[in-house]
Amino acid sequence: MHRAIAALLVVLALCPAPGDAMAQGVLRGWVHDPQGAPIRGAAVAVRGTTLATETDLEGRYRIPVVPAGTVRVHAAAIGYGFVDTTVALTGGDSTTVDFILSLAPLALPPVDVISDKVSHFGDRPATSVAQLTERDLDRRAVNTVDEAIDHAPGVQFVNGQINLRGSTGYVQGLNSRVLMTVDGVPMNQGDRGGISWDLLPVDDIEGVQILKGAGSSLYGSAAFGGVVNVTTRDIPNGLHTRARFTGGVYGDPPHAVWRFRDSPGLLGSGDVAASYGNDEWGGRFSVGDRHSDGYRQQDQDDHLHFAGKARWQSSVKTRIDVSGAWAVDRYDVPLSWCSRGKCDDLGQVFQPFKVDTTERGARTDSRKGYLAAQVRTTVSPTLAWVARGSWLRTHFTDLRHSTSEFGVGNRFGTEGRLEAHPDSTRTAIVGAEATFSDVTSDIFGTHSQSEFAAYGQSDQRIGVARVSGGARLDFLAVDGGSLTAVVSPRIGISVPTDRRGPNGGTLRASIGRGFRSPTMAERFVHTTALGFDVVPNPTLQPETSWSFEIGHTSAPLLRFMRLDAAVFWTEARDLIEPRLLQLPPDTVEIRLQNVVHARLAGLDASVIAAPIPDRLIATLGYTYLSTRRRLEGDSTSGPLAFRPRHLVTLGADYALGPIGVGADFRFASRPERIELEGFVDPRRVPVKVLDLRAGWKRGPIEWRLLATNVLNYIHNLVPETLAPVRTITLTAVWSH
Amino acid sequence: MRKVWLLVAFLTACGGLEPEPICAPSLVGLCGTVRFRGTVPANTENVFIAAYLTFPQTCTDLIANRQPLIPGSVPYTDSLALYSVPLSPGTYQWVLAVWKKPGTLTLTPADTQYLRVGGYYRNPADSTQPGSVTVPNGASAGDVNFVVDFDRLRPATDFVTCTGP
Repeated sequence: MHRAIAALLVVLALCPAPGDAMAQGVLRGWVHDPQGAPIRGAAVAVRGTTLATETDLEGRYRIPVVPAGTVRVHAAAIGYGFVDTTVALTGGDSTTVDFILSLAPLALPPVDVISDKVSHFGDRPATSVAQLTERDLDRRAVNTVDEAIDHAPGVQFVNGQINLRGSTGYVQGLNSRVLMTVDGVPMNQGDRGGISWDLLPVDDIEGVQILKGAGSSLYGSAAFGGVVNVTTRDIPNGLHTRARFTGGVYGDPPHAVWRFRDSPGLLGSGDVAASYGNDEWGGRFSVGDRHSDGYRQQDQDDHLHFAGKARWQSSVKTRIDVSGAWAVDRYDVPLSWCSRGKCDDLGQVFQPFKVDTTERGARTDSRKGYLAAQVRTTVSPTLAWVARGSWLRTHFTDLRHSTSEFGVGNRFGTEGRLEAHPDSTRTAIVGAEATFSDVTSDIFGTHSQSEFAAYGQSDQRIGVARVSGGARLDFLAVDGGSLTAVVSPRIGISVPTDRRGPNGGTLRASIGRGFRSPTMAERFVHTTALGFDVVPNPTLQPETSWSFEIGHTSAPLLRFMRLDAAVFWTEARDLIEPRLLQLPPDTVEIRLQNVVHARLAGLDASVIAAPIPDRLIATLGYTYLSTRRRLEGDSTSGPLAFRPRHLVTLGADYALGPIGVGADFRFASRPERIELEGFVDPRRVPVKVLDLRAGWKRGPIEWRLLATNVLNYIHNLVPETLAPVRTITLTAVWSH
Repeated sequence: MRKVWLLVAFLTACGGLEPEPICAPSLVGLCGTVRFRGTVPANTENVFIAAYLTFPQTCTDLIANRQPLIPGSVPYTDSLALYSVPLSPGTYQWVLAVWKKPGTLTLTPADTQYLRVGGYYRNPADSTQPGSVTVPNGASAGDVNFVVDFDRLRPATDFVTCTGP
């Protein structure tokens, strides 16, 4: 399988593309701010074509095969205004065009067209998209990408599982209703479908796009509730190195009766990366190590990672990218906090910082990695094709006092896609995808799952409106058995509501069908939990949903603020949940079943304000979520578990020259319902977490101070599991 | 902006997890947890804990010998609730949770029409039998834990003889 994919990629890359003889030139240049500082990650696109790129660390860009003649070029970056200009190119020559972008915090960010499938005309898509830039990641001084996107409006992490508008809840790591892609390559685990947020070093990440709502029409299974696309840094020309070191300390429990150690817990990490590139090729390698004592008893974590990326411009029209990462973890597992009598409880009903003595020594050894290759050929200014292959491997061993469990999962994927701009008002994408996953495990057994898909989407400008429509057909087969087919259509429209071009207001609406294929872990898990046997259910069917949203992004209000709001509505069927079954004569077992019909509806709103331009930026996000869960064959209904009704994020950043300070506050209301109520400690409280940060940059060195949960608010997101306490870290980053 | 941060400070000021002593140090009586099962009846008014020094034989005993005579209530909306009941020192032979529907109590046997037995503390050695608990002088007995099953609320007549209204 791997050889076939590799051979296909090489053959496709080396094939001469038609249209070489057309008169074409190279467009190159520099994007910078009015003070001359380079703007990295700026999008530069030739209007009405598939030609687009992003600037490197030094603000440089290069677009080959631009048709000779007069073309319109668009440059934009998050936090800056956009520039549209007309350029006259001579065939066979190189034309330099530099762009100066002014700071404009209220400008709408450009939506990436390179690494995801959201085709566009340089204006807003029909779906809600939240974006995080390299600056957002930098200023938060985070170690993993989930720590940064936890603050995006409408996003909540529940013990490592991402929820977009309440999609996933908390499902013990057995699946995810959100798909993660890295540079467009799906990265959900082959066996459990979960997401390994720390697989990529955070310094290798350039940005994150969060597509909310059902995305299965283009992305297939797991994009039930949305897609998180991580874009890694491109390799700039020249030699570059970067080192990052972090040290920190965890806060002590706020009450003496909860103390569990005599000295504070520490954490530290070091990462080094180096890259070299020229116009033809480039490569980067990074290595990092992290240790944490943890903030509670039995919570140590050691992490080691390697990552690499290479690019090769094999011809003027063809670019090949290869990337990979490998991470090794050994972490203690504080399975659940100590309840009365199960540790030295000091006369307390529960001890949130301690674990049951019977669970002492529980830990997990984990190894995971991926390898991905992509070929992109620009056949002509209006036609491009992309082919990619990927391999994701996960291997875990859970070591427990009573028993040990292991699992090895692989996910092989390949995809081919054509992108066409037949004229200036239309784009079309068609593609095909195949995925093969297998698992070998003592709790999941030995199984495989195949998925084959074909998809297409077209965007058409009709008057001032932009209409997009598409569909995807997926075929699923488990252990070589019969195929299950799922169709996922989607249609959307966006309409400008004033005449200020891409920075004016936009109304958007979309409706689409989502689905999620059961993971092999869900179908075949065979273990014990809460004293009951968990038995397999190979007959599980895909979960499906219809999602609708209508939203509006306002034009700048009072010159310093902008609003975005969307109303969303999802009707989901056949959601998979664990059920406690009583079988005659007196057997009780847990089995996962397609039993839940659910409705998730609400409002997702955000405000960005820049009352002091260039210095102060403030953001407010609010999500109201109403859920209704109904079991098959039961007329009663209640809320879905682990879905807070209210989610509020507040943020502010103030910059003064090389110094910056900022704060984030996050509130989530107490979930009305949890899973397995009656079998676990039902204690739960609202989330109220305040983070503070400061940064100082001098020459090649940048210092960042971060205090998370600064008020040491003690809370839990899932039963019997303490959420992180106050943590203070100091990070130094040296870039050259 | 200042108002926003004042709001943040207000919101963050309270509501997190706090230590919960199993029994308050000053308590003389019983304390423990009640675990709830089943569907809470729509006409539930409250659930309270009661204790008897000797097992009641009649409806009159049931009302007249109950301690405390005017009971407090236990929150029943979550699946688990902590309770503590001040009691005189002594050995109690029956500790139970009583479910009550709307109706005015008169402290007469007629009260039993509004009351049901939700569950009781059981003998650790023989769970079919009620367990006895001793409240020491000047201290409390902890860990008196039991289950209330809302689907199996039982009338007083399952336990005692009631001859009149």
